Amino acid sequence: MKSYYFKFVLTSLKSRRIRSWLTMIGIFIGIAAVVALIGLGEGLREAINSQFGFLGTDILSITASGGFGPPGTGVVDPLTDKELDAARKVPGVEGVAGRILESGKLVFNKKVAFGYSASMADGKSRDILEHILNMDVARGRLLEDGDSGRVVLGYDFYEDDELFGEPIDAGDKVEILDKEFEVIGILEKKGNFQIDRTVFINEDDLRDLVGRPDDEYDIIGVQVVENADIEKIQASIEKELRKIRDVDEGEEDFSVETPANVVESVNSILLGVQVFVYVIASISLLVGGIGIMNTMYTAVIERTRDIGIMKSIGAKNSTIFVLFFIESGLLGSVGGIIGALLGFASAKGFAFIGKLVLGSNLISAQISPQLIIGALLFSFVVGSFFGTLPAVRASKLNPVDALSQRK
Amino acid sequence: MIKDILKYSLSNLWNRKLRSFLTMLSILIGITAIFALISFGQGLNSWIDGFAQEMGTDKVFIMPGGGLSNAPGTSNIKFNEEDLDFIRKIKGVDEATAMMAISGKVGYKDYRDVYPFIIGLSTESNEMRLIEEMFGGIGIMEGRGLKKGDVLKATAGYSYTVPNRLFKRELSIGSKVAINDVEVEIVGFYEEVGSPTDDAQLYLSQEGFEEIFDIEEFEYIYMRVAPGEDPSMIADRIKEKFRKYKGQKEGEEDFTVQTFEDILETFTSILLVLNGVLVIIALISVVVAAVNIMNTMYTSILERTKEIGVMKSIGARNEFILLVFVTESGVLGFLGGLIGVILGAGFAKIGGMAASAFGLTMIQPDFPCWLIAGCLIFAFLVGSLSGLIPAIQASKLNPVDALRYE
Repeated sequence: MKSYYFKFVLTSLKSRRIRSWLTMIGIFIGIAAVVALIGLGEGLREAINSQFGFLGTDILSITASGGFGPPGTGVVDPLTDKELDAARKVPGVEGVAGRILESGKLVFNKKVAFGYSASMADGKSRDILEHILNMDVARGRLLEDGDSGRVVLGYDFYEDDELFGEPIDAGDKVEILDKEFEVIGILEKKGNFQIDRTVFINEDDLRDLVGRPDDEYDIIGVQVVENADIEKIQASIEKELRKIRDVDEGEEDFSVETPANVVESVNSILLGVQVFVYVIASISLLVGGIGIMNTMYTAVIERTRDIGIMKSIGAKNSTIFVLFFIESGLLGSVGGIIGALLGFASAKGFAFIGKLVLGSNLISAQISPQLIIGALLFSFVVGSFFGTLPAVRASKLNPVDALSQRK
Repeated sequence: MIKDILKYSLSNLWNRKLRSFLTMLSILIGITAIFALISFGQGLNSWIDGFAQEMGTDKVFIMPGGGLSNAPGTSNIKFNEEDLDFIRKIKGVDEATAMMAISGKVGYKDYRDVYPFIIGLSTESNEMRLIEEMFGGIGIMEGRGLKKGDVLKATAGYSYTVPNRLFKRELSIGSKVAINDVEVEIVGFYEEVGSPTDDAQLYLSQEGFEEIFDIEEFEYIYMRVAPGEDPSMIADRIKEKFRKYKGQKEGEEDFTVQTFEDILETFTSILLVLNGVLVIIALISVVVAAVNIMNTMYTSILERTKEIGVMKSIGARNEFILLVFVTESGVLGFLGGLIGVILGAGFAKIGGMAASAFGLTMIQPDFPCWLIAGCLIFAFLVGSLSGLIPAIQASKLNPVDALRYE
């Protein structure tokens, strides 16, 4: 019985070849657009998230509230040794380390670049910082205690020839804020635009260079002991700091965050943009759906006599409904299949062109099986949804009137 | 004849109300989206233009480092009084002033502290005129501006006059706020700029800024070039002279000189690209609508095959049949466009109101005539072009076959 339905529907679609094709084109353009945009959007999200991927799950960062900008911007009550000691004493904390971040200019090969320098603390705190950023060198060696006048650079300085005309390598001399430093190492590539472009200097050097007081920090990194409950430790540190800084809950002038928190806030902004773009793209699906509705209404009018005959030889309302419903659903799903393929191809094509032009992985297509399945289901739903009203009209036709209708 | 054709088209469309309505619906949705999106882009553009006009194109900025990449107050490269004097003496510079900037903590009563940018302005009378120009027509709305001798007095951005935006209660003239725990009296409020960051700023005299933050150096230097001089030429001259003065080699400058026009151009072009991408995505739906129109026209030609046969047999020429059907689809497109423009304007207004509620009065839709006309013509063209292929087919029908069509 069911296969008979399909045969019937296919015949009627085939007999109106142009119209069926045009209706499907409407759907597949919409589905292709949505699949391609979601694929590219997910690719972008993946690329952004991977920037933070090297950060461990056993770390927390403490910053004081301030203005817009990198940690430490516009902070009135900076973090000090008091906060550092308090965080160190919280049970479950393996170690803490403070650091300062400063902007500055770096001169090499008679070219200048502007960026950030981060300090490296001495002793055990150095190990903590190295653990937090998962630091390892690609060339030379890492900074050690007493390495005054020496710096370690992020990988971009070594890799990117355009920055200074030639790569900076271990052993080169660079000028930072007009003072000469020796490069002793290049960090491994982290894939994070911040770390890969940062200059690492021993803390005493950086404080001398910019004249920062000795006990002020822009950011405090915390490493927790293995397998500890990081959220509980986060809450205890918050509680201790509230006591020290004398603020009430909800009025904190500092924040304690896990890397996951940071990624989350990035993601939520991105999601807002994505949703907006998807909504605009789905407008074309809506328009395609209206096309299906139109085609189906026309089909019902054209086949009014057929419906009358079918009914007069005993077809039930539900049979008529199913026939038309299947027809519109089929239009939707076939359109969806072509659309998903086209969307897949164009997303990959865009990503390829993007990589050629920009040379970065920021534009990549991330098309999951769920997305394809979702798109197919959705196109079937669109087809049947917009076919429902015409099908209902067809099923409710009065057989006598339908038969007497002139063509 | 055109009148007859129009009448005939309209009555045909009327006879197939449901189909005409659905076809129109499909094109009007896309036009609505495009109209609304472009009107926002346009509004933003005219906001910037208005600002530029007030400010004049004769302004040049000197910024630390590589340009506007640093947040104010975070740079380790600053300018001092001697730098400013040097700049002032460069030929072609009419007047120069410097600004201090940093983000600070602002407290009011027991409400939660906020962290806006605090700006230190000169109160020398000749520099104040330049500063006024720099503000691009945004003047004091209530109270007074800063004047010579003001130390612990501040003027505030518009947002401070609105409750619940920064503090739970609005400030008024004479209110005392604490900037980095130093008490400061508010003496005036600025008009609304329309961007939340600018409207949250507080302005101090440079003396007051020094007293509170203990910073004597400047973040930015602004200047007006002398009348008749080319700003970008002066900018190049300043770059060269200032570099030599600071003893830096070419390419190693730790400052950036830009004309106001350059900055604006960068900003505007980014906005236009973003807006353009959205419009292109919305255009996809118009393509689908065009397919729908084509479909409707094929159907309607099929239904009227006999009619076409009759028209031809009584002497209608091919071109006439073509015109009849192209007009019909063009009318569909035009009507869809008309409703789309009206709906789009409505949506844009609602969106603009929503943006104002968040203090973003810079994001307001603008409906220039060319946009309205453009959307209507575009919708008409989409309609008539999508009807073209079906209409050509109709015009080429053999009258004998067409008459016999059942």
